[in-house]
Amino acid sequence: MNHRGGIALIKATWTSWLQYRSFFFLLAFGWMIPPLIYLLVWSTAAGEASIGGLSRGEFVAYYLVLILVNQITYSQTNWTVGDMIREGSMNRLLLRPIHPLYDALASEVAGKVVYLVFDIPVVAVLALVLHPEFHPTMIEIAAFLPALVFAWMLRFFWGYWLALLAFWASRASALLAIQDALIFLLAGQVAPVALLPGAIKTAAVVLPFRYMVGFPVEILTGQLGAAEISSGFTVQLAWLGVSLALTALIWRSGLRQHTAVGG
Amino acid sequence: MAYYLRLITQFMKISVQEEAAYRMNFWISLLHSALNLGTGILGIVILFNQVETVRGWTFPGTLALLGVYLIAQALRGLFIGPSLDALAGMDGEVWTGKLDYTLLRPADIQFMASFRRWRPFALFDLLLGMGVLAIALAQLHQELSLVRLVGFSLAMTSGIAILYAILLAFTAFVFWSPGVLFTWIFDGVFQMARYPVGMYPGWLRLVLTWVVPVGIITTIPAEILTGTASPAALLGGLAMAVVFVCVSSLLFRYAAKRYASASS
Repeated sequence: MNHRGGIALIKATWTSWLQYRSFFFLLAFGWMIPPLIYLLVWSTAAGEASIGGLSRGEFVAYYLVLILVNQITYSQTNWTVGDMIREGSMNRLLLRPIHPLYDALASEVAGKVVYLVFDIPVVAVLALVLHPEFHPTMIEIAAFLPALVFAWMLRFFWGYWLALLAFWASRASALLAIQDALIFLLAGQVAPVALLPGAIKTAAVVLPFRYMVGFPVEILTGQLGAAEISSGFTVQLAWLGVSLALTALIWRSGLRQHTAVGG
Repeated sequence: MAYYLRLITQFMKISVQEEAAYRMNFWISLLHSALNLGTGILGIVILFNQVETVRGWTFPGTLALLGVYLIAQALRGLFIGPSLDALAGMDGEVWTGKLDYTLLRPADIQFMASFRRWRPFALFDLLLGMGVLAIALAQLHQELSLVRLVGFSLAMTSGIAILYAILLAFTAFVFWSPGVLFTWIFDGVFQMARYPVGMYPGWLRLVLTWVVPVGIITTIPAEILTGTASPAALLGGLAMAVVFVCVSSLLFRYAAKRYASASS
């Protein structure tokens, strides 16, 4: 594989994205709103008391971290991969001496930088206004960082194999909409996973979606004990393995039956 | 007036024919409606699974507000959204110069911009919203007097008028910078209308009531159903609707004068 070419592509994409930053700031603003709504609603509901062991300030801290983690792990490239296969522009990438995965990674890196340029100042201002209670320990930070990287990888590759189904079905992007809805419900956006009612909570712990967003946030805000963190990592890595295997499998068999359309 | 009603019927017919050509879209739209409804309801269920009331709002009251929100969103999707959005963006009519054809027609520019495109599927969303509202009403055990029904329809109408006025004003900015999707900014803020304004902190409540009054669109109708609305709020909402529609209409007409076509 041509790694130097890949890195050059990542750089080029990043600079071209920065040119259109106002458009991407608009997107980042839209993605920030749903967690922000639940931040405000839950912190109002908690008031002076606490809900499920979380005080008002802890809800604020949880959701502010979640806004950033959600943005870092969100893989919007997955939406374009399906379009590229359907419209035939994937052919151009297949002809290059670089794996097309680099193209997706390039827009991932470019996107993350542009979105965070918008998100970090906004979250900083919100933190000043809303007074979060946030005291992470060194151990929590040390566990948070790998959890965040795995969360991004899991969310990226899980979405990537779903998007690759476009090799067979032209409307595969509908599955990505379902994935977004499940992430909203099960990954800690609508409420921290600990506050979900019985059956939904079990589903959240078993299914991969919590490990794409909520899990690292719960670690950093001190909601999990050592046993829960280690079992969480086990489930996260297991799902990551599954999504990597599915991506490799679907990529290979999809490419075999891919017939070029247009150019 | 009859002329404009006849035009609207024609526009609707054309839109239905266009939509019928893409049948797969129907199932995708159905999926999106179901996800939107499901996440909306579950969000409220999860919240009230933990607490009894939030700032005086109970589960059925908040559910009624979600119903109002879904109805407002459906009406927006029925014609306001599709018509106005056609002007904005890189392939929009202002950027490409297709607005020429609209301007040449013997009808009012604001009318043409607001009613031309319809999305018949939104009628299904409208039914879903009404269903949620009906379930919430059954749980509220509030007497549905004639006064209350009239008050609710008035509040709902002024809410939709405010929604339309804001979108029209945001669309007017397209004439200054045609590539920007100004209504997206509004879409983000409008999501906040899923929950009563009372659930937000004080400073945001003021913004959502007076600056971008999305709170008024859903909160006042829902408060009338839960029996907590004051007549002053209803009258204030009506007055606001009249002012907003007039101002945004003037702004849109003023902005449209800047249009200089795009032909080469």
